[in-house]
Amino acid sequence: MGKWGFVFLAYGIVWLAIAGYFFCLKSRMRKAEARLAQLKSTGKIKHAS
Amino acid sequence: MAKIEKKRGSGKILGALALVFILAGLYFALIEAPPDANQGDVQRIMYIHIPSILTAYLSFFIVFVGSCLYLWKRERRDDILARSAAEVGVLFTALTIVEGSIWGKPTWGVWWTWDARLTLTAILLMIFAGYMMLRSLIEDEDRAAVSAAVVGIIGFLDIPLIHMSVYWWRTLHQPPSILRPDKAPWENVHPAMLIALAINFAAFLLLYFYLLSLRIRVGETEERVKREMLGGIA
Repeated sequence: MGKWGFVFLAYGIVWLAIAGYFFCLKSRMRKAEARLAQLKSTGKIKHAS
Repeated sequence: MAKIEKKRGSGKILGALALVFILAGLYFALIEAPPDANQGDVQRIMYIHIPSILTAYLSFFIVFVGSCLYLWKRERRDDILARSAAEVGVLFTALTIVEGSIWGKPTWGVWWTWDARLTLTAILLMIFAGYMMLRSLIEDEDRAAVSAAVVGIIGFLDIPLIHMSVYWWRTLHQPPSILRPDKAPWENVHPAMLIALAINFAAFLLLYFYLLSLRIRVGETEERVKREMLGGIA
């Protein structure tokens, strides 16, 4: 592998991992919000802010 | 509700700003900065390696502060802060080790060596990976939070050891280029390289605070779901 190969490998792994973590957080957020909305709609939350 | 919308709005601004700095950082690191006189182009890994580890240090400092506050006041929000910062910190520490390994192969000839700084960084990663495992292993939320806070405080103490390791032991890893006591950064690094490094550091910081705020919001929402479900059962 040439020197640029190592550079692109490092940058590629870093930005892929960060993007992966970002989408993972977004998905967790969506799931938690959907669960909260479900609880609200079924009336389990009486005093929703 | 307005508070949540306001948080989301400021999060979007932070995310957009991080993206601008990331693109600028890539341009300066890969195009604008000159290649290193000895290492050539492979030294460009430095522009993500140093920001990654400094961001990880900052993250574990936030874990330390959040853990101390939780042990003192026992407020859930401090625990959520510490837990969120630990998760993001683990990501940046793991990335630092991977980048270092890729940089090490063409410069040292090996992907890994049991050098003091590398080993202590691996220990830091293990401590905080253990911190996260501990949380999932203990069922009682309060007990898990107290145990994790103690690990978080002890784990942070590894950071000064990592920083000083290159002075205290004979290591393969070079001494710091930026945070060194004897020289200012501009006396030690070419201005074009320093600019590229500063922009990338700013990009990592903005990205870090964006990811941290998102992770805190996830933690708060999950906490609320759990609380409301328990309330519903009771």
